[in-house]
Amino acid sequence: MNKLQAELEPGFILHTRAYRDTSLIVELFTQEYGRVPVVARGARGRKSWQGLLQPFVPVFTSWSGKEELMSLHNIEQNGIPYWLAGRKLLSGFYLNELLMRLLHRFDPHPELFNHYIETLKQLAQPGEEEYVLRLFEKRLLDELGYGLVLQHEALSDIAIEEQFYYRFEPQQGLIKVSNEAHLAPNVFAGKVLLAVAHENLTEAELPATKRLMRLALSELLGDKPLRTRELFAVPISSN
Amino acid sequence: MSATSPLIKQLITALRCLPGVGPKSAQRMAFYLLQRNRGGGRQLAESLQEAIANVGNCKSCRTLTELEVCGICTNPGRDQTQLCIVETPTDINAIEMTGIYRGLYFVLMGHLSPLDGIGPEQIGIPALLQRIKTHPPKEAILATNPTVEGEATAHYLSELLKSHHIQCSRIAHGVPMGGELEYVDSNTLSHALLGRETL
Repeated sequence: MNKLQAELEPGFILHTRAYRDTSLIVELFTQEYGRVPVVARGARGRKSWQGLLQPFVPVFTSWSGKEELMSLHNIEQNGIPYWLAGRKLLSGFYLNELLMRLLHRFDPHPELFNHYIETLKQLAQPGEEEYVLRLFEKRLLDELGYGLVLQHEALSDIAIEEQFYYRFEPQQGLIKVSNEAHLAPNVFAGKVLLAVAHENLTEAELPATKRLMRLALSELLGDKPLRTRELFAVPISSN
Repeated sequence: MSATSPLIKQLITALRCLPGVGPKSAQRMAFYLLQRNRGGGRQLAESLQEAIANVGNCKSCRTLTELEVCGICTNPGRDQTQLCIVETPTDINAIEMTGIYRGLYFVLMGHLSPLDGIGPEQIGIPALLQRIKTHPPKEAILATNPTVEGEATAHYLSELLKSHHIQCSRIAHGVPMGGELEYVDSNTLSHALLGRETL
């Protein structure tokens, strides 16, 4: 790999873990370089870095290196941190876990970066997070090149119609089924599919959209489940 | 030098398991003990062996102790209605140093970190549920670290404990004593402002 160097590159911290006695290995999500792993030497003793090496804080990062792991030289705050509390904080972790699992290192996604900021901004405001999360999932799939084809049936150009039902096959697309089959977990109403395609979701379509996104994402995530989902299930596990 | 003695070499390698000890300091420690302080070395070896063999976790609060139930948990003078939940046993020491807390503790031995695969099971939530069923406290004080993971852990615990009708509070965070506002990072300062108190 050639030498890479970035000066004041806008980014966010996705995840940190301890490295040796005083350092951290930090996974950055940057605007121009995508996901970048850096080592922050002596970070655990540096008071001025501690508040910045946290997720959901917009930062400028300066780093360089030749190998897979870059060296972080400097980090500065780049705006007001997004205050996520309670359940919204778990939603934030969910976004980070998706990015950690699905983005390849050094694979730039500037559009997705902007959408990540937009999503954090909306999560930091009062209100329901479901819609925001579904939209992020859809755009993530689009950006990664696994965008769902939701306007016509699989391997044809017959348009999806609101009043019919369709079975979602991850590798192929949508296959029209009889109206009696609509209770199956992988069957969706045409109305929902078109609403997702147009990013025009209302409250009524959210549960089905969640089901659709789970099916589509589980194809990419494989057998290893997302750990943040376990935390969302608090009320159930407490009984 | 260590080539002449496999035992010294073994000692140097063993010392390197300590945090912050590299080959050079390990060598210095080994030669110091052998040349200048054999008595201290013997005592170190004995207490290390004894501690490793006997220290386990307190049945009630999970802190490190050689007793079945630790000294704080068995102390009748402690306030049984307050339970302070911390991340590590050293946090107990830090809080004890303040001298103002007289309740009991529960140690999670970590914090939730979904991206590292550390979930509720790994931080002893089943043991905590057991603990609050047998001796329900009136108030739980959530003293996890003021990091994003610590906050997420505190939120998780508060939801869980509230569902068991236990009142929860979170330790405040803000500007350190003797600090100057100019040098405090804006993240901490905004926490301090959001958590301000009426006088």
